[in-house]
Order: sequence, then structure tokens, then C-alpha cells
Amino acid sequence: MRLFKTPLSRVALFLSAGIGAATLAIAPVSAKPLAITHANLHTVTEQGVLADATVIIEDGKILAINPQALPENLSADRIIDAGGKTLTPGFIASFNQLGLVEVSAVGESRDSGEKKADMTFDPSLAFNPRSSLIPYSRKGGITRSLVAPSGGDSIFKGQPFAVDLSGEFDSVVKSSLGVFVTIGGKAKGSRAFDLQTLWHKLEDRQKAVAKQKAKKAEKSKKEKNDDKEPKRDELILDALLAGEQPLFVYANRASDLLQLVKLKQTFKLDLVLVGAADAPLVAKQLAQAEVPVVINALRNLPESFDSLHASLATPAALAAAGVKVILSTSGDTHNLYQLRYQAGNAVANGLSPAQALASVTANAADAFGLDAGRIAVGQAADLVLWSGDPFELSTQVEKMWISGEEVGTSSRQDALRDRYLTKSELPKAYVK
Amino acid sequence: MRKITLPLLAVGVSVTLTACLDAQQQDMKVTINKNPYPSSYQPLPQQTTLIKNATVLTGTGEKLENTDVLLQDGKIARLGKGISAAGALELDGAGKWLTPGIIDVHSHLGVYPSPSVGSHQDGNEMTAPNTSEVWAEHSVWPQDPGFEAARIGGVTTLQILPGSANLFGGRGVTLRNVPSITMQGMKFPDAPYGLKMACGENPKRVYGERKELPSTRMGNMAGYRSAWAKATEYKRAWEKYERDYAAGKNPQAPERDLTLDTLKGVLDGEILIHNHCYKAEEMAMMIDLGKEFNYHSGTFHHAVEAYKISDLLGDNGNCAAMWPDWWGFKMEAYDMVQENVAIVDAAKNSCAIVHSDSDSTIQRLNQEAGKILYRAKENGFDLSEADAVGWITLNPAKSLGISDKTGSVEVGKNADVVLWNRNPFSVYAQAEQVFVDGAKVYDRFDDKYQAKSDFLLGQK
Repeated sequence: MRLFKTPLSRVALFLSAGIGAATLAIAPVSAKPLAITHANLHTVTEQGVLADATVIIEDGKILAINPQALPENLSADRIIDAGGKTLTPGFIASFNQLGLVEVSAVGESRDSGEKKADMTFDPSLAFNPRSSLIPYSRKGGITRSLVAPSGGDSIFKGQPFAVDLSGEFDSVVKSSLGVFVTIGGKAKGSRAFDLQTLWHKLEDRQKAVAKQKAKKAEKSKKEKNDDKEPKRDELILDALLAGEQPLFVYANRASDLLQLVKLKQTFKLDLVLVGAADAPLVAKQLAQAEVPVVINALRNLPESFDSLHASLATPAALAAAGVKVILSTSGDTHNLYQLRYQAGNAVANGLSPAQALASVTANAADAFGLDAGRIAVGQAADLVLWSGDPFELSTQVEKMWISGEEVGTSSRQDALRDRYLTKSELPKAYVK
Repeated sequence: MRKITLPLLAVGVSVTLTACLDAQQQDMKVTINKNPYPSSYQPLPQQTTLIKNATVLTGTGEKLENTDVLLQDGKIARLGKGISAAGALELDGAGKWLTPGIIDVHSHLGVYPSPSVGSHQDGNEMTAPNTSEVWAEHSVWPQDPGFEAARIGGVTTLQILPGSANLFGGRGVTLRNVPSITMQGMKFPDAPYGLKMACGENPKRVYGERKELPSTRMGNMAGYRSAWAKATEYKRAWEKYERDYAAGKNPQAPERDLTLDTLKGVLDGEILIHNHCYKAEEMAMMIDLGKEFNYHSGTFHHAVEAYKISDLLGDNGNCAAMWPDWWGFKMEAYDMVQENVAIVDAAKNSCAIVHSDSDSTIQRLNQEAGKILYRAKENGFDLSEADAVGWITLNPAKSLGISDKTGSVEVGKNADVVLWNRNPFSVYAQAEQVFVDGAKVYDRFDDKYQAKSDFLLGQK
């Protein structure tokens, strides 16, 4: 057997991790290595695009790229010939209500919001991996999503969470993934008050913690302190202030975006902007402050006075200024699969294909703290094999894997179509 | 207060005093002006234009390679190979595609314009289950920046409809997508009016919450039937008046009723039905409703379940206007299939349309049609670009009653065409030039032909 191209020690580590697992006897199929060969591999790393490449997957992760030889324990039926077609990381959707809403207008099928929701609201408890939206969304090559709460009256809408689209009951990958806030024009009241509320929350907590620390230092000289347990929202604020969790803010007007940049710089936050219709006006400042933005590439109408400069050219303009762009379908969650068409339209309007691919993979993974979004050793093996250009209308997903497991794209919609295309003497209800 | 003695029905009537002096004489005949807000549309300045060597999708199911199209005097003057025309501006169409101008049968541009602020919400007269007396054209704000965005997407004609809160929402109007200060300046000359009807969840929710009819689907049907029964009486009363007047009698004209005027227009075959109706069983009932009251049930819009009754639609000559993939936002949109349009299209005597109902997707109806084309091909349908373009051109023109004038690239038709930089069913396709009645209304590379709404002018 020839050696892997990748450093041996690393490979050995992964192999031993697999073999050494105590659960080997009942190991799932994914524990066995899988090889995808002859792929036009879009790594979304410095390696760029590798022609005629091989990827080895084991234990849900990418074990090796272009090894000098295939693993010894690889069985013939675990080799997929990609036939020169394009293999990309699975796409990452964001800021939708996947698994929280089945039918938007049916209240009983909606779990994304609650009037009293605040920053402690964790909707991941309600996530339904059996939602009919999930297999349908896979038609767009989407393997993961950041799901966001719609919240309630408070500007703090709650905590986003990350899921994979496997449809399995353990598909919540990471819950309590930061805090989601909305800022902007509203029919009653002033955005100034909301910005002030956000600012004061952080400032007050920061001061309180500093005070406690000082007190603690003083007290420890004399006696055992009687510290109170921090409240749930205080712990969340602490995580934001420590930069351990992102603060996601939906805002659009350029002046609001600048206020938020100032907030980030003052409190050293990990800030991610969402919406950001007028971002091109302040692209330089966003780039300097290293604030990634989540935008809808098709948004180009002045739908409000907060978004007079929305444009199809926005993704390209932001990327050119050095802003990390994450594309997202906004509005109803039912058509997440269109994320790839967002990318295509962004390319038609000036974004490079490589930037567009990063905007639905690596950039999202980085902003949300997910170990996915790239084809690189050690990353989650979320992969999609496409019949052609992933962004084209004429292309379809041929095969896809989530954490190394092959998943299909067959949905309830397909079953309905087939029923009504099947000739039958009995009523259609008998066709299954 | 002084009693008013003159009859109040003199709307649109001129009464001469001399006519009243002679008892033997008939009163001036009462006639209703059916076109009180007439089109003042004029094509933009134009130049005879010859587009050479383009790939032409005619809209009638044909794809013509390396073909020339001559636009002259507002019409498609010639179509073929090796055309030359003295004095014509020649455009190189090699590698480019030419299609008919895109037509959207379902738009709310101008009545729900951008910016979407409260004072702009003029598309849904949610005050009674039957508001057939309202006309969308009286709400249109021609400065809506959405018209420009749709033009960039190749839309040359669009029907503006009132919303779907009511059983009868009012009249729609068909517009040319040209910049204009007035609605009349956009109005498609001689296009028939449409009447918006709505099935299902919307009317029953809006009025059910107010504890009035309809609060159920059976209430919806009762509401339609009551209205058509009244309209039938109204029509009969006017016909009797006409008959008696023609016979030399001096009958009193029926009292004018704006609501029933619109419904009578449908019964007279002058106004076309555009029915927001998602579900198969409801569409079937609306077809029977039309038969009960002797009118044609027209085009079903949103028609998410049209695939379940594609044969019935074809047999009855109904068009169905559909999205490729919108679904799940309410129960009546739950049974979406991406091949809906293709399945409807495959039926005999079909009329499948892709519509937008959106200020965003109206800009990409070519992509919307493309999604259907490719998903259907993957699932065994024998379809091509030449077929798909008809879903956004000729079929909507049929639905709007204007297919004798526009909707296809055929000699003699209005020169409404779009020149695309590539196959229009690619995600990367962009309209380079758009023509309405032979006049260039948009050029991707020439700022002179890029209109800007008053609203966006000077916004920093």
C-alpha cells in the first residue's frame, strides 16, 4: 500500500481514533471509510479547485484528500466514482425557521416565536427533524442551517441554533449559538431607544461584573464571599462580552450599521450583521471592523426607508471591499433550496464564483462557529455531488452526504407528483 | 333642504331640456361609459431596428437559430434569415437570445409599491366580501420603483390586480411597462378588464374574524352565488330597458350600480375572470359556478393543485397561473409539486402560465420558468426552452385577452421583445435590451435607457 499524501501522523491519528473506538462492534456504516474519486473538487480552502481528486471519509469526517493510496479496509462498494463532476462542501443556510414552522399560517405548527421571548429563549427544544421542509431543502444541496428564532416584543429575539439536515433526531448540532437582536425603523417608537437598550444591557452587565470582581478581591481578604448565582440572561451577556458567542443583529440602514460597529468595538463583541441592505454605503467600515454580513442577494427594491440602497450588486460590492459575505434566503423558510440560485444571481451581478461558493459554505461556517463548510481534513464530511454548475437552474444534486452518511433528496412533493403522473383505474388515493 | 327633482341616474348621461317638453318623445337613452379612464399610452420614440443572428424563441413553441428580426413601426415586420433593411439600426444578436416580452398576469406593482409603508397599501379593499366596484387602476402609483426593476427583467406587460381578501376584489388593469406620470399613460390600449375573485382561506378568515359571511368555504360559495344571482337580475333589467327603448317606448333605466356593472361585464363576456384559487376541489367548484351563471371561469391564479385536475382545466378552457415552487405558507399551498406547470401544460387544450405575485420574482420570471423546465425534464417530461417561454409570454397574453397583439414573436404582432445575453433559462442570463411596441425602453449598457423613479431620484 502506498502512503497517503497527507502527513502520516495525522492520518494515523484519525485511523487509530476509528479503530480504537470502544463501540467498534456496533459501529455505523460511516465508520467504514468511503472514497469519492475523480471529483472536480471545490475545497473552499487555499487549495482551491482540485481536478480529478479523491476524498476519503471516515467516521463522519474528511480523513484525507488525494491520498497516495486508498485505505486498506475500503470495500469496493464504498467507492463512488464522481466521473469528473463537481463536488462541493454542503451548503449552509441561515436565519430561517427550518424545523420550527411547518405551515406558516397554521399557528399550531409554528414554534419560532413567543410574545414574551427574550434573550434566553431557546427554540432548539422545539426543533422537528421530521419536518417536510428538510428533505425538500436538501434539493438545494443544503446540509446545515443556522435556525433563528422570530422572538416576540423584545428586541432580543432569542438564541439561534445550528442543525444538520439529516432528518435524524440528533440533528441539533449546537444550541444557544449567540443572541439574535433586531434594530430598525418601526411603526411606533424610536430605533434610538432600541439601540440604547442594547447598549445599556451590555454596559450595565460589564460594570456589574467589574464591580463584583473588585468586591470579591476585597472580600477574599476578610471572609468567604456570598456571591449570588448569575441569572440566565447575565450568563448570556457574559458570553457575548467575552466574545465567546456571536451577537447577530438584523439591521439595514447605514447609520444603524455604523452604530453597531461602534458597539462591537466598544465591547469587543463578535458581531454578525443580518439584512444589511444599505451595507455598501459603509462597506469600508464593515471591512475594517471585520464584521461579516448575512444578506439576501435578490433584495433590490427600496422596500422601506431603511433599505433605499438595496441592490443586486451588493454582494459583489461588499466582497470587493473585503467584507465577508454570507448569502441567505430571507422570508419564508419553505424554499431554502433556492440558496444556490441566490449565489448564481450574485455571480451574474459581479461576485466571483469562488466568492459565491464561500458565501454559502466557509464564510457561514466561520461566522457561526461550525466545523463544516470546507473540504479539508478533519472537517465534517458534508459533501454534495452536482450534475453541473451548482448555481445553475439546470443542475441538480446527484448525491449528498451529511457527516459522511449519504442522504437523499426525495420529498413529499415528489411522492405527490408521482401519484398524479401514475395512471390508475382506482382513485389516486390508492397510488402510493 | 330643497328636494332634488332631477333623476339621479344621470351618470354619464346628457339630458336635454327639449327632450322633456314633448311627452311623445323618448328621453335621451341612458348609456354607461365603459371606458371612463381611457388609455393615453403612446409608444416611446423608436427607430427601425434589425436584430441579426439571434436565437429566437417565438413563444409559439419554436426555436429559430441564427435568425433576424426586424422591428418597424411598432410591429414585428419581418422574421427570418438574411434580412436587410435600409436605414435600420442593426444589432448583432449572435450568441444572444431573443424572446417575446415577458407578461405577468399577476402583479401588485403600483398598488403595493415600494417603499411598503402604510400609506402605500392600496391593493386590498378589505371592507366587504364583494367589492367589485373598486378598480385597481384607481390605486396605481406609477412611480413605484418596482416597474423599473421588472422592466430590467424583461417584463413588457403586466396585469395589476387587487388583493385577495374578498370574494370579489374588484377590477384588474393591464399595463404596458413604460415609465409614465399617469396610470392612463401605461394602460394597454383596448385590453379587457379583469375581475379578481378569491377562493378559500383568505375571504373566510377576513370576514369570519368579523363574524360575517363568509366564515367557511360554504359561506364563500354562498357569497359568490348571491352576487351572481343579483348580477343576472341587473343584466336582465338593462336588457329589458334596451329592448323597450328600441321598441320606441320610454322606459326608466335601471338604477346604476357600480358593483353590478362589473359583474354584468363578466356576464356580457367583456370582463375576464382572474380567480385566486389554490385547491383542486375548489377550482372544480368555481368551474361549475361559472356554468351555473353562464360565464367563463377564466384563469385560476396560484393554482398550486392544478396538476390534480389538469384534464378538467383543459376540457373547460381554463388557464392556470402558477409559481414553480411557492408552498407551505398556508394549508391550501401545502401540496405543491415543482412540476405543476409542466403537468398542466401536458394536458390537451392547456394554458399553463408562470406568474409572480411578487415585486421580487417578477424580475426573474425567466428563471422561474427555467426551474420548472429543468425539474420537469429530470422527471421525464419532453420539454424545451421553446415550450417554457410560452408560459411567460403567449399563455399569459391569452389569459389577458391580448394574444392577438402581443405574447409571441410573429410578423404583424406588436414589437415587444427582449434580447438576452444568453439562454434566458440560465441563472446568469440578463436582459440586455427591452422593446415595447418597437421602442427601446431599457438598455443594460446605456444609461439613457435606464429609467429612474421620482422616488429614488436624489436619494443619498
